[in-house]
Amino acid sequence: MVERASPLGGGFRPGSHGDFADGNGVTISEVLKGSIVEANAWPGKEKALAESISATCRLTLPALPGNGAASREGTCAFNIGPGRFLVSGMDEALAGDIIAAIGDETGTVTDLSHGRTVLSIEGPRVEWVLAKLFALDFSLTAFPVHAGRATAHHDVFVQIQRRGEKRFEFYVFRSFARAFAKTLCRAAEDVGYTIR
Amino acid sequence: MSPRRTRTGGLIDRARTIRFTFDGESYTGHAGDTLASALLANGVSLAGRSFKYHRPRGVFSAGIDEPNVLVTLLREGVREPNIPATQIEIYDGLRAESQNRFPSLAWDLGAVNQLGGRLIGAGFYYKTFMGPVIGPLKGTRFWMMCEHFIRCAAGLGRADYEADPSRYERVNAFCDVLVVGGGIAGLMAAEAAAKAGKRVILAEQEPQTGGFARWSDETLDGKPAHQWVAELTERLTRFDTVRLLPRTAVWGYYDGNTLAALERVHDHVARTPKGHARQRHWTIRARDVVLATGALERPIVFPGNDRPGVMLAGATRRYATEFGVLPGNRTIFFTNNDSAYEAAVAIKRAGGHIAAIVDVRPRIGDAATALATEAGVVPLTGRAVAGTKGSRALSGALVQAFDAETGRLSGEARPLECDSLAVSGGWQPVLHLASQAGAKPVWDEDKQAFLPPEPAQRWTGAGAFLGKFSSADALASGRDAGLKCAGKRPSRARLPEIAPEALNPAPAPVLEIRGRGKAFVDFQHDVTADDVRLAHREGFVSVEHLKRYTTLGMATDQGKTSNVPGLAIMAAARGITIPEAGTTRFRPPYSPVAIGALAAERYGDLKPERFTPMHDWHVEHGAEMTPAGLWHRPLVYASAGETVEQAYIREAAAVRRSVGIVDVSTLGKIAVKGPDAATFLDRVYTNTFSTLKVGKARYGLMLREDGIAFDDGTTWRLGETDFLMTTTTANAGAVMQHLEYCLDVLWPDLRVHLTSVTDQWAGAAIAGPQARAVLERCVTGTKVDNETLPFMGIVHGQIDGALVMICRLSFSGERAYEVYCGAGHGQHVWEALMEAGEPFDITPYGMEALGALRIEKGHVTGAEIDGRTTARDLYLDWMLSKKKPFIGSGLMDRPALIDRNRLRLVGIVSLDGQKLGGGAHLVERGSSDEPGESIGHVTAYCYSPALQKYIGLALVRGGKARHGTRVLLSDPLRRRFGQVEVVSHHFFDPDGERMHG
Amino acid sequence: MLIDCPHCGPRDLAEFSYQGDATRTRPDPASTDTKAWLDYVYNRPNPAGLHREYWQHAGGCRAHLVVERDTLTHEIRSVAFARSADSGDAA
Repeated sequence: MVERASPLGGGFRPGSHGDFADGNGVTISEVLKGSIVEANAWPGKEKALAESISATCRLTLPALPGNGAASREGTCAFNIGPGRFLVSGMDEALAGDIIAAIGDETGTVTDLSHGRTVLSIEGPRVEWVLAKLFALDFSLTAFPVHAGRATAHHDVFVQIQRRGEKRFEFYVFRSFARAFAKTLCRAAEDVGYTIR
Repeated sequence: MSPRRTRTGGLIDRARTIRFTFDGESYTGHAGDTLASALLANGVSLAGRSFKYHRPRGVFSAGIDEPNVLVTLLREGVREPNIPATQIEIYDGLRAESQNRFPSLAWDLGAVNQLGGRLIGAGFYYKTFMGPVIGPLKGTRFWMMCEHFIRCAAGLGRADYEADPSRYERVNAFCDVLVVGGGIAGLMAAEAAAKAGKRVILAEQEPQTGGFARWSDETLDGKPAHQWVAELTERLTRFDTVRLLPRTAVWGYYDGNTLAALERVHDHVARTPKGHARQRHWTIRARDVVLATGALERPIVFPGNDRPGVMLAGATRRYATEFGVLPGNRTIFFTNNDSAYEAAVAIKRAGGHIAAIVDVRPRIGDAATALATEAGVVPLTGRAVAGTKGSRALSGALVQAFDAETGRLSGEARPLECDSLAVSGGWQPVLHLASQAGAKPVWDEDKQAFLPPEPAQRWTGAGAFLGKFSSADALASGRDAGLKCAGKRPSRARLPEIAPEALNPAPAPVLEIRGRGKAFVDFQHDVTADDVRLAHREGFVSVEHLKRYTTLGMATDQGKTSNVPGLAIMAAARGITIPEAGTTRFRPPYSPVAIGALAAERYGDLKPERFTPMHDWHVEHGAEMTPAGLWHRPLVYASAGETVEQAYIREAAAVRRSVGIVDVSTLGKIAVKGPDAATFLDRVYTNTFSTLKVGKARYGLMLREDGIAFDDGTTWRLGETDFLMTTTTANAGAVMQHLEYCLDVLWPDLRVHLTSVTDQWAGAAIAGPQARAVLERCVTGTKVDNETLPFMGIVHGQIDGALVMICRLSFSGERAYEVYCGAGHGQHVWEALMEAGEPFDITPYGMEALGALRIEKGHVTGAEIDGRTTARDLYLDWMLSKKKPFIGSGLMDRPALIDRNRLRLVGIVSLDGQKLGGGAHLVERGSSDEPGESIGHVTAYCYSPALQKYIGLALVRGGKARHGTRVLLSDPLRRRFGQVEVVSHHFFDPDGERMHG
Repeated sequence: MLIDCPHCGPRDLAEFSYQGDATRTRPDPASTDTKAWLDYVYNRPNPAGLHREYWQHAGGCRAHLVVERDTLTHEIRSVAFARSADSGDAA
């Protein structure tokens, strides 16, 4: 298969940037997911859909607002709206598996593997950096590990999953990814950041 | 040694000397000084000129309420005007300039305005310049002529013409309790809430916490108050759940307990470190708020009360105690309450000389008497200051007998020598935020002050904000407020002992001494007591009208010192009480906020932008990019020396001659899926989609509910229940929202899901007679011949290993195909298409050529679907199904929408060989100077390579009925007037033979 | 202003877009009663006080909500999904 090009361009340079007086505040990287799909349940079929995803992705996804899960292999799923889930994994075949697994009577699945770009940000100052971009409470109690949130930064829709205490993954529309990454990096300059 | 600096004492660091300049003169101060305290220490009493009359002014306060000494800071290449000197922490190399003076502070030409003082009263500008003046210079025209000179003479600091290079940022914060104000009350509240496990933010506008405790002489359990406060602050920093924000003014209280604050992060150091923000705007969403904003001292209004050397009594106390600066060599206190006596003692202890204490009250209590004795004077009770002497500096005060009951002066005015006059008119709790949060303050006759109202949002007051002015009350009410926010009951645990015992600062109800000469109420806007009375005489009696007519309280200090005296004077003029006069509602911001801090990263190179997958290729291949909404799209790919027009003509001609390729990735794309998808599309489109076969596309038109055209595009049926809708680039978001509304609100029973897939697909349109030949050279896995891929057909295949979906549709009127692939493969596929097109000299083309081709073909876009046109106006009646209702069908047949004389789509051809212009009007008669009535306008124009003429599309009254007629183009902005012929908008290949062939 | 989205929880106003009066009733799609259509599209009571209106959580879960808001104080009394709201203009 043809390799997928990154939308981030030459401005997203690996290395250390910003003020390192207190060490590296955050690390920012692009996560090259093989598959990203949006799965959407018909009203009343939310649980069935979550169960299908759970079975296909080998994780336990509760069908509750804002909840999410991740498998040991790194397959992730989280809720982004009523009956709507974003599912992703490193394997390019996963999208097809999910499309096959979810029947017409349960809901629909749309492949977004090319349409969303995933950025990971992690590090001790991650909550500080993210507070500059989003009107969301990033504290662990308000936003637990694996939970998902749909929000926006100016005109840019962003879906966020917390992957660890100090680690988040951002799903942004591919066309916005370059501008978003630039904004993210700028916000991290005062704490020092590394692009990997 | 500075002339006014005390030998010892204060919280400044005397070991550290700091050098700065003011109006070019070099001065020194110490770490911990503000610009105001350092200037006073250096004996600089004249530090500003007033707004309207250019009167000499000096430092009046010690905090955020400073109305007089606003300076311009020259910092990191920028002039920042109107910063109160009391809010500036000095640093080595600080450069400040005074404002509103020419040529210098001491010799100011504008001061002649004072001579005309009687003329420039309230409403002067309105009356003189805006009113009806007889003759040629009527009303506004006269104003416009004079305005330039007035603007030069009046005003505050001058803004810079250069862009502000400073960096600002915005931060969002969430907490259980936001404590506004870091005095004793606020600190106690923060500690109580933090101990109960709450997430706390404490914002203090000054660099240090403590507030009044930093300059009181009190002790708490034997410790100096400032030390006790420092220890408590240190304890707070140990909580993980507490964030202390010094130098942070909370300036706005909005709905839902959302508060706005400005943190001056690096204004106190010479240079903002790279990568850091100079200022930070905080949006704080707090479950509960503690308002511990303290109180501000009010002046008494009397003639000559603005002379440099007149200062608030509490400010003199603060300068002496916190900064080790004496206000003068001989200080007179003038008061209506006891707090000035404490200030007098503080000045005495710091080594100053008290010349007198003038008190409007006929008699005073024992506590005040004892303090007067300690200050070394016998108070002059039942007297008032009725005037001041001096020009650029105070040299004396006129003291006269005064009756607090009647407000009358009597007897001889006795001159007393002094170079400093400290005034106290009592204390007013800082209610701005509570007022912003939606409730009216309540007047307290005893305290002669407005007190906080019942909360309209989740806030709790504490300390002096409540009108409780003692430190003991601050401790108790602060702790209780913190406990209340934590859902706990008030505590009875022991609180620190405070010494000495507090006085009752309730004042006598005297806020004005009426005498001869200008008595200022609002120093910053030069509003006098007489101006307030003038407003009353002229009928502007409501406080809201008073404010607007005189501009009282509308300056950058938002009337912090002038509000209550102004109300008192108006109430007296109307013969009513202060509460009857009422207050104005405070509006944000409480203190000035730089626009840059509000804009933060929304400004400059961080604005959101969208790039297509082929963006870098376009740039590398010489495309001139143009913004299309947030997108960047190629305008033309100009060769060296080519103009834009030459380039697009070449590109468009290449499409007609051989083949061209254009990036169409920006088109909105929406996946419409589900068993009811076809039904849904039938309802939102004017034409029918349920009859569309799988593997085919159809052009569709949407209307708004009011019958006006909304958007157009093709929708592809990829499966029985699976459609791909395309929208115009500009309307992608609006269409998505419209469709979501339909599903959520109008037809929740339909089983349809929508997903934006605009970014999933890269799109390239290949157009021209050789388009098929290009595809044949690179597409595998499917045929692309006319039979397999007829007009509006869809096939799936591969190009150089990447999966593609190809739909045969045309925007240019040529044989054309849209090739879609995964966005991550976009550039790969594009390059493969370029390579396959090489034998045909494939030409990449941009927006200009795309536009020229569509104009030649008569296709409409957003320029014609402009929110006013109907389907019929655009001759798209054939798309309006008669077999089913659809959105817009209910109202599209209203008489006005089907009138024959509406503006309808036509083509126009330039008859004089000159360019047309978008937005130019069409007229039937007249000349370039006096064009006749407009009968329509040009929506799009280009040079048509196919027709070798300048052509355009236009919306013209009557439309088709005018075909073959000649009208005039009137374009005065471009100085163009010429003849055009009205023709069919299908300029090129009207029967579509090229497209279908 | 915050709107307590039933799916996402309280979110800033900036994430929502106003989608109009939620008290109007869409005529039968095939209706030719022009007055009914005009009422639906144009005529609004604009009350001072409690008002039912649609808001879309456009910068969040995308759901349309019915918000009961006091137009004088901005106080929000209730928020519900438009899909499950008991009245409105389901047609």
